[in-house]
Amino acid sequence: MLDTISRGYDAFTSILFQNGVQPLLYAFGMMEWEEDAFAWMDFIVFGVLQVLVVYAICRPLEAWRPVERWDDRRVVWTDVTYTLLARLGVLPLIAFVLLAGVQAQFDGWLTDMGWVPPTLETLIPGLDARPLLAFALYILIIDFGEYWRHRLQHTLPWWWALHSIHHAQEKMTFWTDDRNHIIDDMIAALWVGGLALLIGVPPGQFPLIVLIMRVAESLSHANVRLSFGAVGERLVVSPRFHRFHHGILSAGEEGRNFAVLFPVWDMIFRTGDFRRDVFPRTGDPEAPASLVHGGWWRQQLDGTRRLVAAIRGARAG
Amino acid sequence: MRRLALVLPILAAGLLPGPGRAEVIFVVNSMDPGVQVVDSETRAEIRQIPVLREPHHLALSPARDVLLVGDSGGNEILFLDPTTGEVKKRERIANPYNLEFSPDGKTLVVTGLRRDQVDIYGWDGPTMALTLLGRVKPGDMPSHIAYRPDSKMAYVTVQGSRAIAGIDLETRQIIWTLQVGREPAGIIWHNGKLLVGVMGADYVAVVDPEARKVERQIRVGRGAHALFPSPGGGPVYVTSRVDSRITALDPVTLDVMRTYDVPGGPDCISFDEHGRLWTTLRWTRQIGLLDPETGQVATSPVGRSPHGIFFRAKDLVQARNEAPAVPVAR
Repeated sequence: MLDTISRGYDAFTSILFQNGVQPLLYAFGMMEWEEDAFAWMDFIVFGVLQVLVVYAICRPLEAWRPVERWDDRRVVWTDVTYTLLARLGVLPLIAFVLLAGVQAQFDGWLTDMGWVPPTLETLIPGLDARPLLAFALYILIIDFGEYWRHRLQHTLPWWWALHSIHHAQEKMTFWTDDRNHIIDDMIAALWVGGLALLIGVPPGQFPLIVLIMRVAESLSHANVRLSFGAVGERLVVSPRFHRFHHGILSAGEEGRNFAVLFPVWDMIFRTGDFRRDVFPRTGDPEAPASLVHGGWWRQQLDGTRRLVAAIRGARAG
Repeated sequence: MRRLALVLPILAAGLLPGPGRAEVIFVVNSMDPGVQVVDSETRAEIRQIPVLREPHHLALSPARDVLLVGDSGGNEILFLDPTTGEVKKRERIANPYNLEFSPDGKTLVVTGLRRDQVDIYGWDGPTMALTLLGRVKPGDMPSHIAYRPDSKMAYVTVQGSRAIAGIDLETRQIIWTLQVGREPAGIIWHNGKLLVGVMGADYVAVVDPEARKVERQIRVGRGAHALFPSPGGGPVYVTSRVDSRITALDPVTLDVMRTYDVPGGPDCISFDEHGRLWTTLRWTRQIGLLDPETGQVATSPVGRSPHGIFFRAKDLVQARNEAPAVPVAR
């Protein structure tokens, strides 16, 4: 089954590459990027796949047991716009490509000094023979990084000025995962891409890691009354667990449940709330109306203004 | 007991399934990082050798007892036993994208495509020791390597700089460069000339290394890539990755003898004992077997983005058991 899917995917990307991407590279004299382009094409294809997979999983769940029902879903369409812009993989792609170039130069300099940078597999004996374990470790480490990025988004005023767009949504659905200011998205892409390169994530595995994390994050935002049980809630972030983070009393610095994939970080750092019967209303009571009801442009502009004000305020303070 | 003593070595030498049995293909999968050992008859995978990041090319040692695989993304060279596929050694080497032994077997040149460097190593076969002798920076994206038969000069294509660079292996200095066309890739020494596959175009550039000029262009197909002289002085085969074809050139006149459509982006080639061409198909996760007589291509699945390929013949296994090693050029 998996092999059939894998072969189908390869057949599709092969046709796309040979009939679309490669002739374009040839025509524009960019054949030195041919091999990289074949790998990077995965980002775009994975972006489309992400949207389809996430929709197929989350939409039936939301229809089955919604926490809230709304007649007016206009603000949800704003989140759909966010998703389509973000999930085509453009931002992570740019970050990864830029960082890969920087890393190649940095590695070259280090090598000139007589030192070859290690990777996770070279640091941990035997890991190179266990690619699945290595893959799981990469996800765990990136998830740890994501927990702390999320904590800082709530702690640093300038970062909260951006992140509050994400929390302003009062009609939270699986589309809300991508409701972020573009600067916040770029920081996230640099953060995740940088960490991935720091620990040596193989470029070929990076899209799969992004896919897994994206599906999990979308599900955790879904408007569904779903908890994973006493044990499951502590293993993987559920819609119940993350809804608590988006609850109107949880916004801002005093937030709870910051984990993205594994709640273990909230357990270790004592920021977790595991009450399984709590499905609060979502939103940020302090957010201006434009962040709640505005369209994509309005929210980007106001988010930028709030960022500037937060930085000026910090300087004035 | 005596019968058992007779039977066991026979089983061990030839009859048990495994990489040491007969003809096998070593396929380097660059995006499923690993080396796949495939039975040439059944096309079944015999063994999978995991590699850290992004391997591309391989080179058989002059004594034919070690197969070196460069993991460019993992900064590592793997030393494999070509008869069993076992990993004998791993060594940290900076960005080994492509690697090639000199005809005299004393030097290994390694190109670092992403780091714009070419490393010159001394090779000690018995200890498998590589000693870095020098490094040159020929320009943007050094890629493939060729040698003058006297092993005094190495020639490297520099893809991003549209050039080839001549490197004096005694002084370890670049002594000349020459523009040959957009994104040059494969390069071989052939009858006193250098043949260069110009990937951003559709031709092979014929370079006179003494006069240091391009004296001819041979049209082979868009995305002209790598070149492989067939054993015994037969045709020179050229892969074209955009038009997905293999072109046979007359070894004397260099005129096009025949073209073969090989869908999937043919890249590297290794010849079997029957003169057939095993080739990696970069974009379709396959290897192809081209019979140059009939033009028929049979494909079989491998890992993602297969690049380097090596056909290990029976005689290599037998030679290991019977005769002292003899240095050969690739």
